Amino acid sequence: MSGPRLAPTAHWFLSMPHVADVLSARDIGKFVNLQVLARQVVEGTCSGLHKSPHKGFSVEFKEHRQYVPGDEIRNIDWKVYGKTDRLFIREYEQETNLRATILLDSSGSMGYTGSRSNGLTKHDYAIRTAACLSYLLLQQQDSVGLVTFDTKVRSYIPPRARPKHLQAIINQLDKTKPADETELGDVFHEMVAKIQRRGLVIIISDLFGDLDHLLKALAHFRHARHEMLIFQIWDPDELDFPFRQWTQFSSLETANRRHLVDPAQIRRAYLEKLALFREKLTNGCNRHRINLVPMSTDQPYSDAVAAYLGLRRRSR
Amino acid sequence: MTLLNGALAFGALAALIPIILHILNRSKFRQVEWGAMHLLESVVKVNHKRFRFEQWILLAVRCAIPILLALCLARPVLTGSRMLAGDAPVSMVVLLDTSYSMEATSAGVENFEKAVDAACAIIEATPRGSEITVIQTGGAPTPLFDQPLFDSEAVVRRIRSIHAGYGASDMQQSLDAGLATLAGMSHARRELIVISDFQPADWSGSANVADSIRQQVESMTIKPALSLLQVGEAVVGNVSIESLEFSNRPLGVGQQLSVRANLRNHGETAAGNARVILKIDGKEQSVSQVSLAANTATQTLFPCSFDEPGSHVIEVEVAVDDPLKTDNRFAAAVTIWDQIDVLLIDGDPVSQPLKSETDFLSVALTPYSFGRMKLTDLVKTKTVSHKANLKAEFEAQPKVVVLANLPQLTDAQTNEMQRYIESGGAVLICAGNRIDTAWYNKHLFSRGLLPAEFGLPRGKIDDKGQSARIVAQRFEHPALQFFNDASNGDLSTAEIRQWYELKVPADRSMILTALQNGDEDAAAAKETESKTVVMARLDNGDPLLVEKTIGDGVVVQMATAGDADWSDLPMRPYYVPLMQQLVTTMATQLTPPKNIRTGEPAVAMFPADPESAADGAGDYSVSIVVPDGSRLNLRSTKQGNRQMVRFDGTRRPGVYTMTSPDASSVHFVASTSRDESNLEVLDRTALNTLAEQMSAQTIASPAAYLEQDRLRRNGREIWEYVLVALLAFLFLELVLQQTFSRVRT
Repeated sequence: MSGPRLAPTAHWFLSMPHVADVLSARDIGKFVNLQVLARQVVEGTCSGLHKSPHKGFSVEFKEHRQYVPGDEIRNIDWKVYGKTDRLFIREYEQETNLRATILLDSSGSMGYTGSRSNGLTKHDYAIRTAACLSYLLLQQQDSVGLVTFDTKVRSYIPPRARPKHLQAIINQLDKTKPADETELGDVFHEMVAKIQRRGLVIIISDLFGDLDHLLKALAHFRHARHEMLIFQIWDPDELDFPFRQWTQFSSLETANRRHLVDPAQIRRAYLEKLALFREKLTNGCNRHRINLVPMSTDQPYSDAVAAYLGLRRRSR
Repeated sequence: MTLLNGALAFGALAALIPIILHILNRSKFRQVEWGAMHLLESVVKVNHKRFRFEQWILLAVRCAIPILLALCLARPVLTGSRMLAGDAPVSMVVLLDTSYSMEATSAGVENFEKAVDAACAIIEATPRGSEITVIQTGGAPTPLFDQPLFDSEAVVRRIRSIHAGYGASDMQQSLDAGLATLAGMSHARRELIVISDFQPADWSGSANVADSIRQQVESMTIKPALSLLQVGEAVVGNVSIESLEFSNRPLGVGQQLSVRANLRNHGETAAGNARVILKIDGKEQSVSQVSLAANTATQTLFPCSFDEPGSHVIEVEVAVDDPLKTDNRFAAAVTIWDQIDVLLIDGDPVSQPLKSETDFLSVALTPYSFGRMKLTDLVKTKTVSHKANLKAEFEAQPKVVVLANLPQLTDAQTNEMQRYIESGGAVLICAGNRIDTAWYNKHLFSRGLLPAEFGLPRGKIDDKGQSARIVAQRFEHPALQFFNDASNGDLSTAEIRQWYELKVPADRSMILTALQNGDEDAAAAKETESKTVVMARLDNGDPLLVEKTIGDGVVVQMATAGDADWSDLPMRPYYVPLMQQLVTTMATQLTPPKNIRTGEPAVAMFPADPESAADGAGDYSVSIVVPDGSRLNLRSTKQGNRQMVRFDGTRRPGVYTMTSPDASSVHFVASTSRDESNLEVLDRTALNTLAEQMSAQTIASPAAYLEQDRLRRNGREIWEYVLVALLAFLFLELVLQQTFSRVRT
């Protein structure tokens, strides 16, 4: 049986301890074929796959394309014209370093697992997603950092571009357990101050909490000119509320918060409330030009991330 | 309410299942540690009270579903309107209209057949032990049974055997009879059912009838339920003979009788060239044709005569094709007299012609014999002197005895005359110059044998100035009705020169005067004397002819003489018919009527059998043939010198023929009002109004009655409604569940 062809960096990555615990070979195989491309030009300190704002520096050929009237004459590849008797334009792409910071929600609500999520809690799903993204970013020589938080920041690993930095991130992810309540707004405000340089901020969370406060915090990030990418993690149970018999729901974050209800009676109201919540969140993100990607733990997280990155590339 | 499958009602305990499930759900709940608590809490917080309220409603609906299912299977019966136990016997009187109008056909079926079917259906459905009787309303109300029967099958069999065709119904009497019968019945539940075509003619003055019936019902201790069931429907286009008119004067053989038939067309279309046939004793005698326009009446006249003395039946029939055949013929009985024996007792016999006291009378009564004509006189006279053996003459039982200017009688003669009168004889007493008024007053008037007391003589023979004339009024007495027709003579032209004042003992004014004086005994005495009738008066107010009924006989007293001494009556051309009418009427009016109304008794008098008369027992055997062809035997009762036979069962219109042992037949014709020939019936509105006035109910059909009765007895099954409710609750549960889950956010 022949598996996917791996890039040399992938073989290096797989040789590292603990990484295989988090990512399967199949997952890694998929990621090495993808390119994480930032939507906007972010200031970088080293050349990479990303466009640089500094012109004439570190230019790399990308591809030929058919000449169309209006293109500059100087960009015509005359060698190709000599060979093929057709006019082609040479296209170049400048690359720069990307500083990405992954903010991972470790609050109690992320500890929920339903019957359809293969035993994975939302938190498990989130750390795998974070590991994937870290690997991909480091593979592209981008800097990546990790912040775990609940009501406050629990750990902070500043962005680094060294390959060994992945080990530090994986170690931290492995240690993280969901607990306590969530206070996204305060944490995010705090992180805006900590992340001095512009870059990509990746938030992996269920975003449960005060929505207005949250949107203000996200706006704060945008105000600091960070690129925002949010993976909102859902369990399928939270999306369709499949419960039938009488159920006592206990809060994962706060003790003594429990409600005995007839799920059939409140299901529709819950779903309406959920739809309202998601609509409000989506609208808020769109308003601040933040990319919001809902993800469900019953779908392969690697597929979801890959689909999103593909979407980013097409949007360029 | 009762349950037909009571055991299944325990299924209602299944209502506990939703409650148990509810409790179990709340106690054995699943525990989930939930992340999206902020979404859940906001829903629960906003809708907490409503959730609880809706839970209770849903729980109630879910509990109701098994209860309704169990109730449905248990077949509940509403008994709120039930008035008695399901199998409780009933006392029932059915008034069955047997009048002749019920023989009308509609849709090819006789109305009476429908009525019988309806009655049988209702009676057959009565519970065991019910007492039932049927009263036929045709003619006169007649119970079908002597006592109410407890065997409904026997009642049905008997009803199936009867026929309609009786006289018009008198619903007032019939309902009275029905209520009276019900009052004597035993069961608590009492029903009076009227099955009729409900013709307006039967309910004339229906408001009064209805009020009377309602009052009777309300006054009864146990109030019966009245039901009116109409059978048949209005039929138009009937032709009927309403009546026959002919003279009542006695007829002899060969004398002409004019019979006038009154025909009426009740329809909206003309009946052209209808044949009208006169039959005598069943044989066609003459035929005429008439045209009957719509809604009109006409007459046709048949002259006829009879060859044989005795009782005859004349019948007129109109040959038309209409829904009711019964009223297309009308019959009447006619008696043809062979000879009327009249004894003339002459109180002033003179050998010279027309000088004797009875000469004019004799001539007037036997004009054909006197004129030596071939025709036969109806009357045969025998003249004797007052000195003759009057006892023997009275015993010969002449039809009429005339005392003409007879001075007085011996006591034996008086006794004999009294016996003669009381046994049905007729005596005409004529005044004159020889009578001993004091004796008459003392020996006859005091014994009640004289209609009026002789007073003083009035007028003078030779003084025309004091003469009087007969008041030519409309005569009520049958003997003088002949002269109501002016062409038969004007009695007022006669001059009465002398007469006796006749003191009629009691007329109505005298009774009133006695009452006003407070003398009730005197008034009662006057009342008994009021059998005296003044037949004719003079223009000065004095009675001329006074009649008094005594026993079975009659005495007529004339204030003036029978000959031409005191008046010129014998000189007048109408003297002959006057005397003929007077004498023959006296001779025949004492025979019981042969043309009777339905329900009236048919009475015939036969000469006493000498052998049976000896022991005084009435064992005279007479058979009678009634209109339906059946023959009955009757026993007579002795009355004086005669045997009286009486038959009361004349409710059916038609000919009743009595045949005596000597094979002589007497025909009676019972007729009824032809008001029912107009086949209109009360419409639905009028019938409902009538029922409302009577506090009765109308029934559309026997099936409707039985259904109503079933409801009264058993109540109404409502499982269908419960099933509908069950389905409604199931649907409601679904709707509520869907609706309640749509919660405010």
